Amino acid sequence: MQLSPADTAAFGAELDALRNEVVADLGERDAAHIRRIVGLARGSAITGRSLLMFGIDPVTWLLGVGALSTAKILENMEIGHNVMHGQYDWMNDPTLASATYEWDNVCDSGHWRRYHNYEHHTFTNILGRDRDVGYGLLRISPEQYWRPKHLVQPISNVVLAALFQWGVGLHGLDPTRAFKSKIGRARIRRESRAFFRKAARQLGKDYVLFPLLALGNAPRVLLGNLTANVIRNVWTNVIIFCGHFPEGARVYTREETRNESRGDWYLRQLQGSANIEGSSVFHVLTGHLSHQIEHHLFPDLPAPRYAEIAPRVRAICEKYGLPYNTGSFWQQYGSVLKKLFTYALPGGTTKWNAYSQKSLS
Amino acid sequence: MQLATTLWTSPLLHPLNDVTAIDDLLARVHPTWSLGRIKACVESIVVETADTKTFALRPNRNWSGHRAGQHLGVEVEVDGVRRQRRYSISSAPSRQRRIAITVKRQPGGVVSNWLHDHVRVGDTLTLEPAAGSFTLPEPLPRRLLMLSAGSGITPVIAMLRALLAMPAPVDVQFVHAARRPEDAILAAELGRLAASDPRLVVHQHYSADHGRLDPATIARLVPDYRERATLLCGPAAFMTTMQAHWNAQGIASRLAWESFGAPVGIVDAGDGGSTEIRCSRSERVFSADGTTPLLVAAERAGLTPRYGCRMGICHTCSCVKRDGTVENLLTGERSAEPGERIQLCITRAVTDVTLDL
Repeated sequence: MQLSPADTAAFGAELDALRNEVVADLGERDAAHIRRIVGLARGSAITGRSLLMFGIDPVTWLLGVGALSTAKILENMEIGHNVMHGQYDWMNDPTLASATYEWDNVCDSGHWRRYHNYEHHTFTNILGRDRDVGYGLLRISPEQYWRPKHLVQPISNVVLAALFQWGVGLHGLDPTRAFKSKIGRARIRRESRAFFRKAARQLGKDYVLFPLLALGNAPRVLLGNLTANVIRNVWTNVIIFCGHFPEGARVYTREETRNESRGDWYLRQLQGSANIEGSSVFHVLTGHLSHQIEHHLFPDLPAPRYAEIAPRVRAICEKYGLPYNTGSFWQQYGSVLKKLFTYALPGGTTKWNAYSQKSLS
Repeated sequence: MQLATTLWTSPLLHPLNDVTAIDDLLARVHPTWSLGRIKACVESIVVETADTKTFALRPNRNWSGHRAGQHLGVEVEVDGVRRQRRYSISSAPSRQRRIAITVKRQPGGVVSNWLHDHVRVGDTLTLEPAAGSFTLPEPLPRRLLMLSAGSGITPVIAMLRALLAMPAPVDVQFVHAARRPEDAILAAELGRLAASDPRLVVHQHYSADHGRLDPATIARLVPDYRERATLLCGPAAFMTTMQAHWNAQGIASRLAWESFGAPVGIVDAGDGGSTEIRCSRSERVFSADGTTPLLVAAERAGLTPRYGCRMGICHTCSCVKRDGTVENLLTGERSAEPGERIQLCITRAVTDVTLDL
């Protein structure tokens, strides 16, 4: 979709105005929302861990796993991800400050802030610059260079989903880039320390501390924590894949994005993202990543605002004849799976694209 | 003890030692319970004048006391935004863990007006520990002059109360200026103290009737003021006049003072002027003009703050601003809130600014 420079500027100005309107309205109710979710996540974690620790029957085990997974999902998605984007920095609450928040998974928050908040959100869907395009493992668009490893991607995708927090944690390290230079090696030594420290804490908490506290119930707690982590992993993986990979979400080359204006940047964010339709509870459980379009246009607005402004964003898109990619969960994830199978096989890469990626990566 | 502290603060025990979470749970049981934070119950509210109230507070055990003349921090949340202001403690130190702050409504002041309009008896306030070096001189001088104007009386009266509670043979002259009798904060209290204690003489000065309180008036009211250790607190213009006089008389060493709410040198940097940016951690100072984002100005000065997108998206450069007024270059919004987080890449300085860099 191409707009004239004048239309692009007008489109950008309308989105800027919408953003300013929301910023001016931030207040009590946004603060109340995030505090409520923090309370829910804590209550859910305490309930889940208690049920696992003190129960003896399979029913309380299942309930405990359910509560603990919910706690981890809420903490990672609606709290951690959003707080680290600076969505609540305006509250001046040090426990909700983007610069210092640390979340409940093995990815070091410092790495996350750099690779996600900065790289992914600034260079969204630019081949060779945004490593979230396929996570260096999957080929989800014909413009990506085909490699033999892509043949097994329907299987590697399942493995990635189950171990997603480890994928995200290591993603920050980017070992493939690190071994190309001395600086890269120095950086990876430094950053891997942060990764190992965080991973040790997470493993210690779920697989040593809480099982020890449970005494005889240790195996039950250990297995429960492991299951809760896997459920959270699969859920976040599936939701995140619906954000940029469904049919219609496009990728960009570096050449296309040289000298981008703010309007161009908005256009790229819009056309590289896809929404999932659902209830308000579903939106909270996705951390409002179900409003990926609004999130990518305005990454630092409190997430519940995305649902509120979505109709207006959509109206602006219609006004300029721009696509607004949205659909049910099964529609969106179905199209991701279809792509995973289709692009497992070579084909679709033009020589030019292959060349430009090779020279960049 | 050392081992216990190390264990308790160890990240390996997380989330069992998550102090914030534990505090939130404790606050549900009782509003003033907290592991480390000072929370105080509002025991009474006294209306002093049309725009001044005294809040009597009973803090929890985390309060470690104060010296007369010091101030404390009050942290409130107004419309979702946490804000902190410092107020002089108007009560003398006591063993009963009772303190009072006397707050005057500031025109446009978010926190002072919120305290006046929203705080009721029985509410809980979050406090920060007492601090400040404007306290009674040591050793205690025989003759003192206490000189205050407007709400500047609050730290001074705390010192007066503490002083009169001691059996010391002192001679205190207290000169307090207010616009009219109905504006005189704590006037009744001053009168009561003077009536009951022969060591104290109070002079109330009403500027609506007798003009501004000037050094000549003080010389008339307290002829031996030059020989007295003087404690001074009041509005900026009043303080400047008095300090200049004490300097001119060569008795500046006898003068102790405190200014609060002192106006920052408002230089609108948009007019081509420049502002001074102080970095509290690196102790560096640099200047910024009215069009340059703080991130760029800092880099030009040789500093290397963390940054990412440079377009206001990623919050990598977000940093706490201690004081000063700044403008968000995207929204044009100005803010003077102390302790707020700003994004250096899209913020410019309007006045001198202190950053936590």
